Amino acid sequence: MTKRKNALRDTVGDKIFYIINGFFLLLLALIILYPLYFIIIASISDPDAVLGGEVVLYPVRITMEGFAKIMERGDVWRGYLNTIIYTGLTVVLSLIVTIPAGWALSRKTLPGKKAFMIYFIIPMFFGGGLIPFYNVMQSLGLINTMWSVILPAILSVWNLFMTKTFFESSIPNGLIEAAKIDGAGQFRIFTSVVIPLSKAVIAVMALYYAVGQWNSYFNAMIFLQDETKYPLQLVLKEILIASENTTGGSGETILQQYRLANQLKYVSVIVSSLPVLLLYPFVQKYFAQGVMIGSLKE
Amino acid sequence: MSEVILKGLKKVYDNKVTAVHDVNLDIADKEFIVLVGPSGCGKSTTLRMVAGLEEISDGELYIDGRLVNDVAPKDRDIAMVFQNYALYPHMTVYDNLAFALKLRKTPKAEIDRKVREVAEILDITQYLERKPKALSGGQRQRVAIGRAMVRDPKVFLMDEPLSNLDAKLRNQMRAEIIKLRSRIDTTFMYVTHDQTEAMTLGDRIVIMKDGYVNQIGTPQEVFNKPVNLFVAGFIGMPVMNFFDNCKLLKENGKYIAEIRGVKFVLSEFQQKALTQNQVEPCDIVAGIRPQHVTVGEGELSAMIEVSEMMGSEYNIHARCEGDEVVMLIPTIDLTADVSMGKMVNFTTRPNLIQLFDKASGNNLIWYDADSAAKDAPVCKRYDF
Amino acid sequence: MDAVTSAPKGTLSPEKPKLENKKLKAFKENAPFLIMIFPAVLVVFLFNYMPIYGVLIAFQDFMPGDKILSPDTIWVGFENFQRFFSDPQFWPLMKNTFLICIYGFIIGFPLPILVSLMLNSLKGKKTAKFLQTIFTAPHFISLVVLVGMLTLFFGRYGLVNNIVAHGGGERYSYFLETGAFRPLYILSSNWQDFGWSAVIYIAALSNVDPQQHEAAILDGATRFQRVIHVDLPAIMPMISVMLIMSIGGLMGVGYEKALLMQTDGNLAVSELISTYVYKRGLTGVPDQAYATAIGLFNSIINVVLLVIANTTSKKFSENSLW
Repeated sequence: MTKRKNALRDTVGDKIFYIINGFFLLLLALIILYPLYFIIIASISDPDAVLGGEVVLYPVRITMEGFAKIMERGDVWRGYLNTIIYTGLTVVLSLIVTIPAGWALSRKTLPGKKAFMIYFIIPMFFGGGLIPFYNVMQSLGLINTMWSVILPAILSVWNLFMTKTFFESSIPNGLIEAAKIDGAGQFRIFTSVVIPLSKAVIAVMALYYAVGQWNSYFNAMIFLQDETKYPLQLVLKEILIASENTTGGSGETILQQYRLANQLKYVSVIVSSLPVLLLYPFVQKYFAQGVMIGSLKE
Repeated sequence: MSEVILKGLKKVYDNKVTAVHDVNLDIADKEFIVLVGPSGCGKSTTLRMVAGLEEISDGELYIDGRLVNDVAPKDRDIAMVFQNYALYPHMTVYDNLAFALKLRKTPKAEIDRKVREVAEILDITQYLERKPKALSGGQRQRVAIGRAMVRDPKVFLMDEPLSNLDAKLRNQMRAEIIKLRSRIDTTFMYVTHDQTEAMTLGDRIVIMKDGYVNQIGTPQEVFNKPVNLFVAGFIGMPVMNFFDNCKLLKENGKYIAEIRGVKFVLSEFQQKALTQNQVEPCDIVAGIRPQHVTVGEGELSAMIEVSEMMGSEYNIHARCEGDEVVMLIPTIDLTADVSMGKMVNFTTRPNLIQLFDKASGNNLIWYDADSAAKDAPVCKRYDF
Repeated sequence: MDAVTSAPKGTLSPEKPKLENKKLKAFKENAPFLIMIFPAVLVVFLFNYMPIYGVLIAFQDFMPGDKILSPDTIWVGFENFQRFFSDPQFWPLMKNTFLICIYGFIIGFPLPILVSLMLNSLKGKKTAKFLQTIFTAPHFISLVVLVGMLTLFFGRYGLVNNIVAHGGGERYSYFLETGAFRPLYILSSNWQDFGWSAVIYIAALSNVDPQQHEAAILDGATRFQRVIHVDLPAIMPMISVMLIMSIGGLMGVGYEKALLMQTDGNLAVSELISTYVYKRGLTGVPDQAYATAIGLFNSIINVVLLVIANTTSKKFSENSLW
């Protein structure tokens, strides 16, 4: 906050307030961090120690066995590759669709602007629902192709409006007028003036779309039948969740199954979340920026 | 030849608000014309219509004899300097200057020659590879002017180009624009809200208010011959003193201005002009410029409220029967005691009194009904 | 274009044709915007408007493969809706959906506000930024991984049970018990998203003029009083908007997470309207018309809730979505 404030002496009441406030925030941070930390230590600990409840604060009998095992899982790596392809295509296409449309929508002189606004607002509040959506995808012949995962994800109306708000607030009108007087047409203005000044919003949009596609599983689950086309999340779903539903079997064999399955789970959580979490600290300011761009107009 | 003719130019917005009413203006080739007025008076809108950034609702605009109402900005052969410079932040100074030429497909060597030539004139050669962000306000201003210069436009439009600079830099840039003008040698249209800028830069000044042109004239004309109360109050620093509820009398065939009971027999010129205009005795508002007040003599009296010693002159605020009177007195001429609370006498020369009709606010001597009817009001001319 | 008129003093050109010409010119100049917006229009048409058209099957006796509009279409009116209302699942679905939303709302709505105020009250700006980074991180974990983590912590052989067993206690299957579903669902959702939801409030708080705080300090306000009298009012408009949106979403919980958490054991509480739509429409022997009707019913509830929330807010404050 302000620097000057520190010059003032805090009262006893204020001191207590700061201490309590700091304590609760620290507690929250621990609640967030501990599960993530535990996944890491569990993934490199002896599975027996994990199962025996010994692993709580630090890794026990460190082993890389889990990581070695996941290297052998062809489905995981195939899923990885698929996800990278899907995400890459989604980002490229979504930018091509979102950024120019956001620019056009931000212009007062867009012919039929009001109608376009209404056209894009309605889907924010009302949709046809899952089954008609499925039927549309079917009639477009997209079922069991990677486009069924990519195409519906290349435009989020929220992102479109966020882009529009960014353009309205961040591109000075004078600049556009100057370009007009300099002799630039609408396309030229967009490519030579607007795009170079919109790196922030382009980055934010790319990140939003990328994370969205990286993390999604549902469309892939209902549209893709071919396992070789499965994205990473769908493969993970099999590894992480499917087994929890099984209840049968004798105690010993189940325990043995869990011993191995659990280790794979810890490792796969790490392997799959690694790109996002590694990138996260560097790009998080852009994510927050996105929220702020979006909130300007609210 | 690049004269600009505005004929009945009008701007009506979609919400039916009229921003500019019938502006008629003939700008001669190589003339420096300044549009001045308070914010919202329509001066910028007028300029933007000339630039082609605002659509012209009605009327005609000619640049160099060509009707350009429906011509795109880039084809009007104009250049514009914006208030906040509007430099492309992602381009270097060089690219900012070259952008318009590139769009025109000017040969590279030609672009380079022109950019360097302009940079030389404006003394920004050493900044050509920098981005605008790395420049000071004054330097950015030069780049903005340079961007307009490289195009050799027929008309040079400037929209409050100095208003983002601090006072000192503003004075400096103002002087530079005057110098620049002799080098560029083209027609200028300059918008400002600052009457000092208008007075120092303009060959002629167009004073606007609420979308109407109030007076068009040289700096001398608008200062000495304001056609109405608004122009009189707008031009000149400090603002002209107005004495409400005064009377124009006629005694023994002579026009007399009565200000707070004190009678001033008007000058020979004023007598003739009023006679020619067939002015009847009436209620008037009398205007006296602070520079034209003499302290320590005369029959008007006022109580000093504030007295500021400005060095070469005193800036005195006094109260005369409820009216605030500002006086600007050269220090060497000041003999009276002007400390706070003192009563002083003051007066002025009758020929310096401006006489405004109380009902219409028009100057009884300088208002010219003929030119006003044509929406191009100028001060009245007399042949004596 | 180059209409050179030699004598500018000529009479005004005729009015009407000029006006139309102007409109055409303006359109020409702005036509590129239409090209820029076209791909987005197309995508929204395909994936948002075509499905809206597709809801017509809710009023039909529809078999997969049928055309939506053809002479053979059998219209059944509201029969599919009536079937749903008399479905024995109707009330449990309504209840499950409503409860998970309302509990989620009670915890999930105030928490981000509280956290943003707390972060904003921290003295060190760097610490606040750092904590915010930590708080928002879980938002980027995928649902699959999140639910996977839940099983790793609360599964029969997860951390909690392992510790309990280590101490000699009985293992408890959180995922197979009806009582644990809602707490797990709601708490994990909050764990994942409270930080992210707080960002919007933090942004609003960062716009508060520091001089307001300084003035309050000089007036003798404690830090806590300043939170109540300076910070909270500053984010009130944002809170209103978020509240309207939340109320609009009170029956709008999606299927994605619930489907992942469903087990045979917790189905009695974990079956929601949305998951039911999925199951009836896309799995087993699909009854698409019926599932579409249920989905449509759900969407209409959401829109109605949103409209009610918005009009109420409009009435009592100046904040509204439209």
